[in-house]
Amino acid sequence: MKYRVNFFLNEEPVELYVDANKTMLNVLRDELCYTGTKEGCGAGECGACTVIVDGKPINSCLVLAPEMDGMHITTVEGLAKDGELSPIQKAFVEHAALQCGFCTPGFIMSATALLMENPQPTRDEIKRAISGNLCRCTGYIRIIEAIEDVAAQYQKEGGAN
Amino acid sequence: MREFEFLQPKSIDEAIAMRVEHGERLVVFNGGTDIVIQLRDRLIAPDYVMDIKKIPGLRDITFTEKDGLHIGACATMNEIGTNEAVKAHYPYLAEAALSVGSKQVRNRATSVGNIVNASPLCDTGTPLYAADALLCIEGKGGRREVPVREFITFVRRTVLQKDEIVTGIRVPYDKNLRGIFTKVARRREVDLSTICATVARSGGEWKLAFGAVAPTPVRMPKTEALLKDRAITEALIDEAAKLARTEVSPIDDVRASKEYRLDVVEVIVRRCLKELA
Amino acid sequence: MEELKHVGKAYERSDGIRKVTGAAEYVDDIRLPRMLYAAVKRSPHAHAKVLSVDLTEAKKLPGVKCVIDGTDYVKRVGLYLEDRFFMIKPGDTAKYMGDPVAAVAAETLEIAQKAVELIKVEYEPLPVVATALDGIKPDAPVIHPDLGSYKVAPIFYPKPGTNISHHYVLRKGDFEQACAEADEVFEHDFYIPHVQHVPLEPHVAMARMDADGKLTVWASCQSPYAVRQTLSVAFDMPLNKIRVISPTVGGGFGAKAGTTLEGIVIGLARHCQGRPVKLTYTREDEFVNSYVRQGMAAKIRTAMRKDGRILGVKNEYYWDGGAYTEYGVNITKAGGWASAGPYDIDNVWTDSYCVYTNNPVGGPYRGFGMCEIHFAIEQNIDMIAKKMGISEVEIRRINGMRPGGFTGMGEKMDVAGYQECLETVLRDIEYDKPCEPSGSPTKIRAKGIASGWKSPSMPTNAGSAAIIRMNEDGTFFLMSSGMEIGQGAATVLPQIAAEILSVSPDKITFCSGDTDHTPYEWQTVASRTTYCAGNAVKLAAEDLVDKVLDLAQIKMGAVKRDLKFEDGYVVHRIYPDRRVPISDFALGVAFPDGSGYGGPAIGVGTFTLENNINTDKKTGVAKHHPAAFWTMGVNGAEVEVDTETGHIKVLKMCSCFDAGKVINPALFAAQSEGAMVQALGTALFEELKLKDGKVLNKNFVDYKIPTADDIPELVVKYVEHAEPTGPFGARGVGEPLMVPGAPAIANAVYNAIGVRFERMPIMPEDVLRALKEKQKSAK
Repeated sequence: MKYRVNFFLNEEPVELYVDANKTMLNVLRDELCYTGTKEGCGAGECGACTVIVDGKPINSCLVLAPEMDGMHITTVEGLAKDGELSPIQKAFVEHAALQCGFCTPGFIMSATALLMENPQPTRDEIKRAISGNLCRCTGYIRIIEAIEDVAAQYQKEGGAN
Repeated sequence: MREFEFLQPKSIDEAIAMRVEHGERLVVFNGGTDIVIQLRDRLIAPDYVMDIKKIPGLRDITFTEKDGLHIGACATMNEIGTNEAVKAHYPYLAEAALSVGSKQVRNRATSVGNIVNASPLCDTGTPLYAADALLCIEGKGGRREVPVREFITFVRRTVLQKDEIVTGIRVPYDKNLRGIFTKVARRREVDLSTICATVARSGGEWKLAFGAVAPTPVRMPKTEALLKDRAITEALIDEAAKLARTEVSPIDDVRASKEYRLDVVEVIVRRCLKELA
Repeated sequence: MEELKHVGKAYERSDGIRKVTGAAEYVDDIRLPRMLYAAVKRSPHAHAKVLSVDLTEAKKLPGVKCVIDGTDYVKRVGLYLEDRFFMIKPGDTAKYMGDPVAAVAAETLEIAQKAVELIKVEYEPLPVVATALDGIKPDAPVIHPDLGSYKVAPIFYPKPGTNISHHYVLRKGDFEQACAEADEVFEHDFYIPHVQHVPLEPHVAMARMDADGKLTVWASCQSPYAVRQTLSVAFDMPLNKIRVISPTVGGGFGAKAGTTLEGIVIGLARHCQGRPVKLTYTREDEFVNSYVRQGMAAKIRTAMRKDGRILGVKNEYYWDGGAYTEYGVNITKAGGWASAGPYDIDNVWTDSYCVYTNNPVGGPYRGFGMCEIHFAIEQNIDMIAKKMGISEVEIRRINGMRPGGFTGMGEKMDVAGYQECLETVLRDIEYDKPCEPSGSPTKIRAKGIASGWKSPSMPTNAGSAAIIRMNEDGTFFLMSSGMEIGQGAATVLPQIAAEILSVSPDKITFCSGDTDHTPYEWQTVASRTTYCAGNAVKLAAEDLVDKVLDLAQIKMGAVKRDLKFEDGYVVHRIYPDRRVPISDFALGVAFPDGSGYGGPAIGVGTFTLENNINTDKKTGVAKHHPAAFWTMGVNGAEVEVDTETGHIKVLKMCSCFDAGKVINPALFAAQSEGAMVQALGTALFEELKLKDGKVLNKNFVDYKIPTADDIPELVVKYVEHAEPTGPFGARGVGEPLMVPGAPAIANAVYNAIGVRFERMPIMPEDVLRALKEKQKSAK
């Protein structure tokens, strides 16, 4: 049985018929070919599949496809606007805050959600906000510094966006 | 994942009717952080998955001094942990809620789901045990409230009947109650508890609740009785810590040994008694 | 030498934008028309005879395209020792809990999984060899009875009739004599458990066999050419009929160095003509069915003189190679090679044994044996120093490598920055100062240090090739199969080319990972890419420059030696205003009469290290330089131990290595930081818990790696003593950087609470138990 779902993906309306036994991650990757969102464990432990739903980061591998109805979903593909990287994306590049890159979209979504909610996080708040994202390459420090850098820019400019 | 039918009742009555109709073939689906993994690993293979998140009002968190705190079944861990009333009056519960999983998981996982799962190491179990919280249940026969300590009966077993669903948790308000939540795990963030505990006192009354030390979270009646109305001295702390060890029955598992868990129970009791003395 | 313009600069990663936007394409992101999904039937027994495999019911399931069992596989494969089939044949034995016995390709993953459940396999369970020390017992069940008939590289010595697949022997000097001269002889035992690499991208491979017999494989792998070679052997196919494409790789750390699941998908693809078959590992698969780092038991005997000089060491290493040791034999050798540590010791005897067990398959892991042996060596050094009454710093100053010193194998070290690294780390961690107070009597702080080194342990003729093509506008394509696996090859290799070509690296597009189109590279392992592929790239760029200057002297009427590349121009050295854009030579030179000559511009470079000669067969002693280079360095760690809960918090780690030449300082620092945190994970959290061959914690719930919350303050330094054979003096660093981290933490823990942990990881309960025992024995 298929379920009709209507949702917004990166601000674009989408209407789709989905299987109940698929996850949001399956729908994004397999049905819609939004492959920037990655599967690292399929169990909500690694954060590679993090997307922002209604302003909050969640693991898309733990959401059943029919639940997507009515959601506003942002994936990594939705951050750069008109060829311009988002401040977090830019900071990750400048700080060499990525290596193999597989965990990177998930980190970028967690970081983006954090700064939306709290534009001036402390280092501890940053660490907690990204501790649901595993990275084996970087040792995390550059990721933390990249987020701090963007927060500092926001402070100068007076708040996020 | 095996195929199943996805149901989204719009009211509690509809949800109860669906449960009654499909019985064992239906699982109740809330935050999904546990159920999706169980489905994926084929540990469960239901014909119906009933998502209760579309039922209006189930996500509310309300507080009055008279009625205490009410946490709707669908309120997420992050909503509980960042709620001003919870932070002000039940800080140990807020901390417990924010100790669950990752931020992503806490945006989906619920405390009611945590309790209904009835895992011995459920992180929001011990603050609710310590605060003598009650589960709000609705069923065909009407509403009832069950103390959380009676609700969980064994590993993954509760008193919830086949025609009932849990709609929320009520936590009575005690303005004198001060509590400390402690979680000991292998890693500070995003880990299951090796031991979790809430130690609280209200005047001369002590409430010690521990998780991951027995088939269900437990209170420590003997230790609580020992401490009742007594002045907290080094000697009493020592006695209480040793007694506390005898009130739990942890096991060896992949996360820690029985011996270590017993040691940590003792350490937590000592630390908390000192802090609350 | 002219000042370097591009080498040594912290350029941004060339793959950064693609990776932060989600545009980088990993194998699982590739969606091909008519793609099929694979699932694998695996042995539920750690050791069992496969009596029969019944595929009938699985084949009947609608949507199933193909079902195979081990009868499809005729030849054994393996990198150094051909000891495995990609799939177990009926009648043969399954050798670990997860050995593949059958596989399915179907229209959907769900159908494939359902079909796997319908495959019926009968087993006769056999006794299990659970540890290396069990495996060497005379009465142990022999896991590979046919070991004597396996094809093996000539530098490895299997012992048929036993579980020993390689016995490495080193006999430099006379250890017995050293003992006779020693004031004290010590003996210490250590154990390092299995761990897993945990790349965030699980293994994935896809294959398609076309009607003309061409096999295309997309694999997340470090070494497309090695995969191609293995597949060619396994399926008896000519190399020109196999194309291996490795697009973006989501982390390797050694796990993706060999050939694993590729062998399964190809078996299926051969029966699904024209349809691609994809197999993606789950995280659970990754923990069990890719590679794991071998467990290792070590015994070290050390002959000491009163003045702190180490006269001799005798090492015994027992590596738990798991079910197949095609790769493990070389780790066993590498461990033996490096067994003296970065110390100049006259008498070194080492026996290093690779032992078959019924555990998951051991394979290369960042450090290639070095993390394991140094956990033993570096704690041993501290233990000895303590007992001899000298400081752990002094013993390293006395024995640590210096230029002119000799390695354990007897190679003379012309370059060795060890002592400088040591002093740098001592300064950065403020080793002579006490720690800041913790503020609690039950939280004790202390510092520790440890050293490490590593050389590549690769075939002496392992080669690299590179091709550089100039475009019409003076931009370039650099083609190499040195793989970008996160370490920064796609940034560093163009930087090397940019230096020679004197153009900004963004003018050079890096092309990699396609055996039909990018030139040969033995493997992306051994921390060899900057060094080996880097040399090939440098030579290719020099070749292109040379060819263009040949043309330029015609066009510019100047002698070649007076011309050079400078910022996109060919410039006259003496009359610098005589300059022509390099792009004018992209298609050769054009003459006034319309004729042309000498284009298009292309440079070729190949690199095989010369005089890289095998060691003496009997003694293991070097005749010349068996190791391409040795990379050495030091870590310091400051820890805080909670004596009530046993939790260890690492507060600070400092690293200093002799990199020869750092090509990109930002990427060097990033590698150093990642290495320290990975080492921290192994020191404090990580162990693949095994019971009779069963992995008890094959998921992230119970196998914990560090999160952002666990990281200490990280200080990264380097020194640069040029490697004579390296490009711009560079030597490899990726793996060595991880080596001293875990023992530095263990030494700091000892200095905090006076308890020595001979086993990793040091878990809270180990700390508490040890403290209790210490208390008891004090009473």
